[in-house]
Amino acid sequence: MSDHHASPEYYHGLIKKFKAVGYTLIIATLVTVGIDYFVEKYEVSFPKALAFAMLVAVIKASCVIAVFMHLWWDIKWKTISITMACTFFFFAAMMYLTITSVNDVPGLDNSYRKLPGQAEHSALADK
Amino acid sequence: MEIPYNSTQRPDTGLYNAKVGIWLFLASEVMLFGALFSAYVLLRVGASPGTWSMGLMNIPVGTFNTVILILSSVTVVMAWASLKLGDFKAYKKYQIATILCAAAFVLVKWSYEWPAKFTHYDVTFKDATAAKDYFVAAYGDNHSKQVTKIAKDRYNDPELQITQVPLSGHIVGYKVKGDTHVHDVGKVMNIWNGAWFWRINWQDTNMVALNCPKDITAVILHADGADDDHAKPQHAKTASLSTDAHSGAGSKHHGVEIPVSRIKRLSSLEPAHSPFFAIYFTLTGLHALHVLGGIVVLSYNLLPIGTRLWLKDPDRFANRIETTGLFWHFVDLVWIFLFPILYLL
Repeated sequence: MSDHHASPEYYHGLIKKFKAVGYTLIIATLVTVGIDYFVEKYEVSFPKALAFAMLVAVIKASCVIAVFMHLWWDIKWKTISITMACTFFFFAAMMYLTITSVNDVPGLDNSYRKLPGQAEHSALADK
Repeated sequence: MEIPYNSTQRPDTGLYNAKVGIWLFLASEVMLFGALFSAYVLLRVGASPGTWSMGLMNIPVGTFNTVILILSSVTVVMAWASLKLGDFKAYKKYQIATILCAAAFVLVKWSYEWPAKFTHYDVTFKDATAAKDYFVAAYGDNHSKQVTKIAKDRYNDPELQITQVPLSGHIVGYKVKGDTHVHDVGKVMNIWNGAWFWRINWQDTNMVALNCPKDITAVILHADGADDDHAKPQHAKTASLSTDAHSGAGSKHHGVEIPVSRIKRLSSLEPAHSPFFAIYFTLTGLHALHVLGGIVVLSYNLLPIGTRLWLKDPDRFANRIETTGLFWHFVDLVWIFLFPILYLL
């Protein structure tokens, strides 16, 4: 944060923001856990559960980065914004390459489920 | 010679030296954890049926640890704000709170979460007949429901074959060749004395690996949630099974006696158990190392050797706390993503 010698009022205002973000993070965590029970109970599909959990995680991470890590105030400085942009680009590229290449590797698909007669050998059938 | 921009901002970057350094360091950390996250994706998508065993995660404990880390993130930033307000007493208070939160996080991992996994065993069987026999022995009339429950809750895959569903629990005893007496495992099965290396190799079921007695013929497993009284009559019907882990009267543990020859694989929930536990221990282990590193730095900034800078150069000391805080928030940030992918999804 660049305001090295700001007034006490400025920091008291910041403290209020820090506390608000702290409460938000705890509530978001509890919401995620609550939704997990909801997902199990109502058998929500995995992609939907994943999307929701990641959405909450990204919101929480954004709060931490923006307020706790002061990026909201520091992003104006090129050294930080360029570093962050490069990091984000390489991270996104790494995840993109991984996610888009999983089906290229033999054995990394779930086609075993489609084998004929699979149901006859299921756990339920064996019981 | 004084190094410039240690406590003041450099006009062109707007940042002091340490801040540039910590952001570059955090960028490299993103790459490190990013590589492991992409490994997680690859392992999860490629996991064979019955190997992505995340249903055993203790969600309340994971939630507790998440809240603890969030609280520590709040206290560390409050410590910095206190310094900016010139309140060194409040700084110390918040810094101690941060260290206590961090210690609580590591303590939960070290003394509860990880040991619980290393002392919890999965047994898979050579064939469906054996699997059914021992599920019946453990759960009696409820065996069918139990198999479905494990397949669904733990693997999210109700189509698993019974041979892919493990019988889980704690090993309470064992038998050795030429001896009918059941040896009590008791406190021996503890992570910290090495007994957690018990493993029966799935390629050669007669080989009992590592710290297991070499001539072991059977293990006695107390299955999770097994109702001993309920299961007893079922044991009596199965000649090859024994109800009690202990032959003597007044034994506290009941279990299913499983001959080694019927076991396809026996393993605790250690990294070698499955791709899930491999990546689980890698990710949480690396994260815990970061928490430990954070504790060291936070403690240094609380001890006289660190705080003397406050008397000499308060601005620089506040900057030091800010950069420490940036690292600490990153540790929190990583956990924010680890918690849902390892515990919930």
